[in-house]
Amino acid sequence: MGEPEPAEGATGKAEALSVEFQGASKRYAGTDAPAVDELTLDVEAGEICVFVGPSGCGKTTAMRMVNRMVEMTGGDILVGGTSVNRRTPSDLRREIGYVIQQTGLFPHRTIAENIATVPGLLGWDGERIEARVTELVELVGLDPELAQRFPAQLSGGQQQRAGVARALAADPGVMLMDEPFGAVDPINRERLQNEFLRLQGELRKTILFVTHDIDEAIKMGDRIAVLQTGGKVAQFATPAELLMAPADEFVEGFVGSDRALKRLALLRVSDIDLWEAPLAFVGQATGEVRAKLDGAEVPHALVVDSERRPLGWLTEGDLSTDLVPAQPGASAAPLVELDDVMRDALSDLLQAETHYAPVVDAGGRIAGVLSIEIVSDFLTSADALVEEHSAAERPLS
Amino acid sequence: MIAGALVHLLPVAQIGQDFFRDRSDSDCISQNGTFCFQWAVDNFTDRYLPPALEHVALVAISVIAGFAIALGLAVLSHRRRWLIPPLNVGTGILYTIPSIAFFFLLLPITGRGNVTAVIALTAYTLQILYRNIVAGLANVPAETKDAGRGMGMSQRQLLWRVELPLALPEIIAGLRIATVSTVALATLAVFAGGDGLGQELVGGSNLTFKTGVILAGGMAILIAVFFDLLLVLAQRLLAPWRRVRPV
Repeated sequence: MGEPEPAEGATGKAEALSVEFQGASKRYAGTDAPAVDELTLDVEAGEICVFVGPSGCGKTTAMRMVNRMVEMTGGDILVGGTSVNRRTPSDLRREIGYVIQQTGLFPHRTIAENIATVPGLLGWDGERIEARVTELVELVGLDPELAQRFPAQLSGGQQQRAGVARALAADPGVMLMDEPFGAVDPINRERLQNEFLRLQGELRKTILFVTHDIDEAIKMGDRIAVLQTGGKVAQFATPAELLMAPADEFVEGFVGSDRALKRLALLRVSDIDLWEAPLAFVGQATGEVRAKLDGAEVPHALVVDSERRPLGWLTEGDLSTDLVPAQPGASAAPLVELDDVMRDALSDLLQAETHYAPVVDAGGRIAGVLSIEIVSDFLTSADALVEEHSAAERPLS
Repeated sequence: MIAGALVHLLPVAQIGQDFFRDRSDSDCISQNGTFCFQWAVDNFTDRYLPPALEHVALVAISVIAGFAIALGLAVLSHRRRWLIPPLNVGTGILYTIPSIAFFFLLLPITGRGNVTAVIALTAYTLQILYRNIVAGLANVPAETKDAGRGMGMSQRQLLWRVELPLALPEIIAGLRIATVSTVALATLAVFAGGDGLGQELVGGSNLTFKTGVILAGGMAILIAVFFDLLLVLAQRLLAPWRRVRPV
């Protein structure tokens, strides 16, 4: 019995490492054009940097140069300030998490054995490995029962979680993720993305994330490198900058003509100025409410209870009575929360076929009203960029 | 020349005498029955069990030796792909040499006996085993190998921890074919002066009395079935992941 091992927290005790590409190039023998052409960019410790671009743009090659799955032919890459070439490929790879699209789980090993791969290679003792596996299974949200199953017995989403757990096993400072959610159906992909962002909120790993899907890039990335054929960076920017100010036609085309709508994915309802509706308290005289309606931003009165929680919209019929009823004629739905993403809020509005949606805070109290006009005004306003910046700094959940 | 050598190789006359000396089931034998059960029972332990065990040993040694060589060749050519075609041709040529000719080719070098028989039998297993191991290794999914390398496995670790275990079903399929065919081929070991059921089969086939031949042949079949079941069991134990049902 020796000293107790320092607890290996699942929340990432290891420090995240920066990754610096310094003119890193890859030219395959017998080809004219380089696959990656003098790539220079710094990925800061703890951020998610997405490489996005059309197929053949060299994004995967660029990522694989970091753990030397592809050997550079020029330039250098520093991980945590040290050149990757100063380490043997095996040592380097054991310290860099690696997740690939088809998960690459070993079919002949149980989920627990798969997760234990790198700790095993690093020579951890059995007890420590077991504790770490248990911790990771829980961390990525897998049912502990699944740990003793083989990969073929898991669904695609579960396999992907196991793949992430395996990459996190030795608590790497850097994670490489090559289209990690690409093989999952759209609904599960959305869920995995959200879970992963929540996980990253705790772990704060440095993550290089490769995808061909610009929407995924915008959602996942703290910063995005748009690559074009020939392995050149067309733009390296935050999602908001990319959407607001594409550097050239290539980026503009790649980001898509619906980039205005995409910007909504970067915003929360609390980031924009809401309208105010005249409030009507239950039991209040309708005459007072009628007076407030004149010249109001929202031409309808919202009935709230004594805690200012919305109950519904006052209809003409309600107004013809003397007092404000507790159950007004029009439902308050859809209710939007301050923390909701604008894209989802707009979608709620459109789906309910209404013009206005009451916005409530975490306590359910009225905070304002969202209207279709606010959304369209916002999209055309000049100061949108400033607002988006503040929104983009927080991961969505 | 071959006929002359056959006479030289076979202790036929001796076997023939034995048949007529051990008359314990006289009715059946005198009526020249197809299978004299009592005679088979009486002679089983002394006359048929020892060669059956020798037969098992011949097969086991030949297949294990063949597997060791084939595995070595497959591993050698796994990272040197250019070696695969010549090795396929080489093992293929060994496979096509008629077995009796093979024994006679070896006789001047290794003499009569089990060594000659084992060398020839081993040579025959190489083609099937080598091809199956190579095919098994080739069928390991690229992304699985990529993941293994990406997590920092060395080539050797990847081979022993990922590629060979995943190639196991094909390898065992090859072993099953090689073993069953070796059980049959090993009956010819008698022409090389080797042991095994061949002595009883070849000796007995010269006679009108068929019980011995049927018994020896039946035992050869049982040995083949035994080895086959053993290998199926081995696959179940070694590759449990192959039997899981996807959810």
